[in-house]
Amino acid sequence: MTTFDILAQQLVNGLVLGSFYALVALGYTMIFGVIKLLNFAHGDVYMIGGFVGFAVLSLVGGLVGTGWGGIALSMFVSMIAVGFLGVVIERIAYHPMLAAPRLSILITALAVSLVLQNSVLALTGGEFTAFRTNLGFGGIALGGVFITYNQMVLVGMAAILMLALETFVTRTQYGRAMRAVSIDKDMCRLMGIDVTKIIAVTFLIGSALAAAAGTMAGAYYGSIWYFMGFLIGLKAFTAAVIGGIGSIPGAMAGGLILGLLEAFGTQIPFIGSEWKDVFSFSILILVLVFKPTGLFGKSEVERM
Amino acid sequence: MEFRIARRRTLLALAAIGAGALAAPVIAQDGPITIGVQVPTTGPEATYGNDMLNAVKVAVEEINGDGGLLGRQVELAVGDSACDPQASVNAASKLASQEVDGVVGGYCSGATLPTLKVYGDANIPFVITASNSTKLIPANPGNAFMINSTGADQSTKVVDFLSGKGVETLAIVDQGDAYSQDLANLTAERWKEAGHEVVATETVNKGEQDYSALTTKIRSLNPDAVLWTAYYADGGLLIRQLRQSGYQGVIAVGDGSNSPKLFEIAGQAAEGVFGFSNPTAEFLPAAASFIESYKAANDNAPGPYAPLTYDGMKLLAWAIDKAGTTDHAAVIEALASADQAEWLSGPISFTDENTLARSNFIVLEGKDGAWTRAAE
Amino acid sequence: MLPFKTAARRAEAQDNDPAPARPLAGITQLQQWFGRPATFRGAMAGIVLLLILGPFVFSQYITVIMTNALLYVVLCLGLNVVVGKAGLLDLGYAAFFAVGAYTTGILTLQFGWNFWASIPVALVAAAISGVIIGGPTLRLRSDYLAIVTLGFGEIVRFSARNLEITGAASGLSGIQQPRLFGWTIDSAVDFYYVFVVLAIGAVIASIRLSDSRIGRAWLYVRHDEDAAEAMGINRVAVKLAAYVTGAIYGAIGGIFFAVNLGAISPESFSFEQSVLILMAVILGGMGKIPGVILGAFIIVLGPELLRDLGELRLLVFAIGLLLIMLFRPSGIWPGRTQ
Repeated sequence: MTTFDILAQQLVNGLVLGSFYALVALGYTMIFGVIKLLNFAHGDVYMIGGFVGFAVLSLVGGLVGTGWGGIALSMFVSMIAVGFLGVVIERIAYHPMLAAPRLSILITALAVSLVLQNSVLALTGGEFTAFRTNLGFGGIALGGVFITYNQMVLVGMAAILMLALETFVTRTQYGRAMRAVSIDKDMCRLMGIDVTKIIAVTFLIGSALAAAAGTMAGAYYGSIWYFMGFLIGLKAFTAAVIGGIGSIPGAMAGGLILGLLEAFGTQIPFIGSEWKDVFSFSILILVLVFKPTGLFGKSEVERM
Repeated sequence: MEFRIARRRTLLALAAIGAGALAAPVIAQDGPITIGVQVPTTGPEATYGNDMLNAVKVAVEEINGDGGLLGRQVELAVGDSACDPQASVNAASKLASQEVDGVVGGYCSGATLPTLKVYGDANIPFVITASNSTKLIPANPGNAFMINSTGADQSTKVVDFLSGKGVETLAIVDQGDAYSQDLANLTAERWKEAGHEVVATETVNKGEQDYSALTTKIRSLNPDAVLWTAYYADGGLLIRQLRQSGYQGVIAVGDGSNSPKLFEIAGQAAEGVFGFSNPTAEFLPAAASFIESYKAANDNAPGPYAPLTYDGMKLLAWAIDKAGTTDHAAVIEALASADQAEWLSGPISFTDENTLARSNFIVLEGKDGAWTRAAE
Repeated sequence: MLPFKTAARRAEAQDNDPAPARPLAGITQLQQWFGRPATFRGAMAGIVLLLILGPFVFSQYITVIMTNALLYVVLCLGLNVVVGKAGLLDLGYAAFFAVGAYTTGILTLQFGWNFWASIPVALVAAAISGVIIGGPTLRLRSDYLAIVTLGFGEIVRFSARNLEITGAASGLSGIQQPRLFGWTIDSAVDFYYVFVVLAIGAVIASIRLSDSRIGRAWLYVRHDEDAAEAMGINRVAVKLAAYVTGAIYGAIGGIFFAVNLGAISPESFSFEQSVLILMAVILGGMGKIPGVILGAFIIVLGPELLRDLGELRLLVFAIGLLLIMLFRPSGIWPGRTQ
């Protein structure tokens, strides 16, 4: 492989990884936008999404097959189911805490994360579950660069979801209300916006996006387990902050940037991949030192 | 309850001072024999911990089915080590305070290390079935026995085998934990000593899922072989992605990946992959019945340390039986004298350092979705 | 929460708080928690007596987990300075814990230093890392701060995992137990007493700090950074002081953690560890010393009491946490000021 091929291939790798980060980061950023909560349970919602998608595919796989058609169907069902799970979590765990100090709700989110993780641990006995599909390894070669059809479908699906979200947020009544709530909740109440409902809608969409990512990741990588949400949760959180937390385009950009950073970070000469995360986190810190509100964040005065 | 125990301990301690020796369990008991199992049952390593626990359960069921041990039933007390040094010390202290008659398990060398002192102070026999860091050896007060070979033996086998296959350039990938890093470093050292080249030593994070950046790097370096030194779950993903990226060379995996589950995760990609292993499970006739009992009880196949841990439990039972008592010193003496051949993982006898005297790694090959014995 | 305190007194206290000029000896704050001095003295004497007599009653297991709980008291009080007092969200506190543990481990093992001689070096190293972590974060506010501290925490852990001097993934083992006047501190009971002393020291230091000039400055900065600055408080210095103080607490915990276990490895300094300490601080009642102590005990003893549940123990523990937070949103024993 020529250097150019390697870099082009890493670009592809980074885009695929970045799509997952972006989908999960969107939920982080939207939820942060409306209730100023770092939802630490979000990575685990992604994990649940993977398991629900797997369960659905196991049920319907015999009828519709386990190709992309079947996966898209299970992904859709998983999005709806997990979207409502997100609403239920918000109702039970976060809603009563909205008036409490901001850090208290953070602990609630951590507790929810532990509950989700350990529920699945208890149900699966900690086993890795093989996510069986009949996706092939086929693809097209462009010079020395090899792109699988799966990667194309995956990035395509992620792009469609993000486009749909962007349209929803900018073009619909709910979307505008959501943006309004993230700017000033009290003013929204005065304007007659049902803030509680908007928060619920935000959780529904954020969780559904994570579920979509979870199902796609399960199908693409081929296995799911109870702890799979932890690392991606951390990474997506990082991505959301790089982009400027609260900003939807920021989350998309942040996800892609982090994915690319990690892909190219592996390739740095004389430094093994064991330093890859140190590299990513150092870049993150540098970004924030020079641009404290992230790439797309608005600067605002806030306090805890 | 705690008060009662404490008082008894005080009395025992006084008796011990009087006798000038450590107090042995004085009163003959007719209750069950309690064996502690120290494995992670929560946290990210619970996958492997539960697997080991299930193997112990299979062994205990067999023992109790055959009339128990010294005419007494065997009971288990589980100590969740969570793969965390502090949590494992807590677990070990609880087991020691419960006055268990022996302990099996030990996964995550970092978490096993500080428990050696806890069991050592109480002189409880401890059969370590997975942790195999060489750092455990100097910290062993004499009551612990390691039945998993250390990385040194395995790396020798890896180098011999791959050299024999005509491999010249090697890329080694570990997972950043003590076990896989140890095996990776030792193999890299020996590989260079043998006059070959290590083109890359890489580390991935557990649970990362996406290794495409790494596989691209490996493909660009194009080594003759790639060695994965960690466990099957992430190994399965790596193998899949290596083949997806178009890597055509030899892929080999260490004994932590020796599980049928590797094939469930990697699918087709695991065909032709080489694995290193103790002669466990399906490659010994005695193991067939173990696999059957394990599958019947757990609804899935045993993982890489299940046979060894089953052996550990059986070995401890054998030692208690041989000693004819649960007296710790006698059981430890019996363990040290072990020279039996009928274990799933081959013959077990110990060196002066209480490590496995022999090592007989075999090479496996993935064929039709299962491990088969490879031609060496 | 405090039935014997009249509403009027409480209001008065709130009015005064956080007036920098309020003269308060450290002990007065303690007295207020317990109402009358006699009750207070009785309660304090009772607790200290209980701590001293503990090992005569406890089994070895209870002694070990009590030791662990006391370690968490030290760590939580340290994080409380950063989060509770100065209002800086820190998700990488385990980094300081690691700096203390590894400095002592490296100096005693690789360089053959005496344990006691390593302590000042570890504290200086922690203070420096406090400045390094605090430095870039001063311009940031809450959530960005959270991710930067998280990033630093992970960088420290990855470095410990990758470097030769820290023993890489296997960590360091064979750290010698310290000797003091010819007596070797090595049994579980010895270490229990060491941690009793450390925890009591940490509590006293925290009380003194709360009532000091810098303690009031933290409170002021936390309440209104801009107003504090307008009042002539050096925002940068005050925040850095919070990080350094927190780092020193963390390092002290780490130093004695290392010699207690005799072995350290990167697993002990993970993100989960930072989260656990933060959980304890907020659960108990951020900013308030007895609340933080209570939180430390709950976080350590909770999962231990549930040990017999096996793999379900963390699930049950998490549900318990959730219920506590839902019924007491400001923590179990919150401070007066939020």
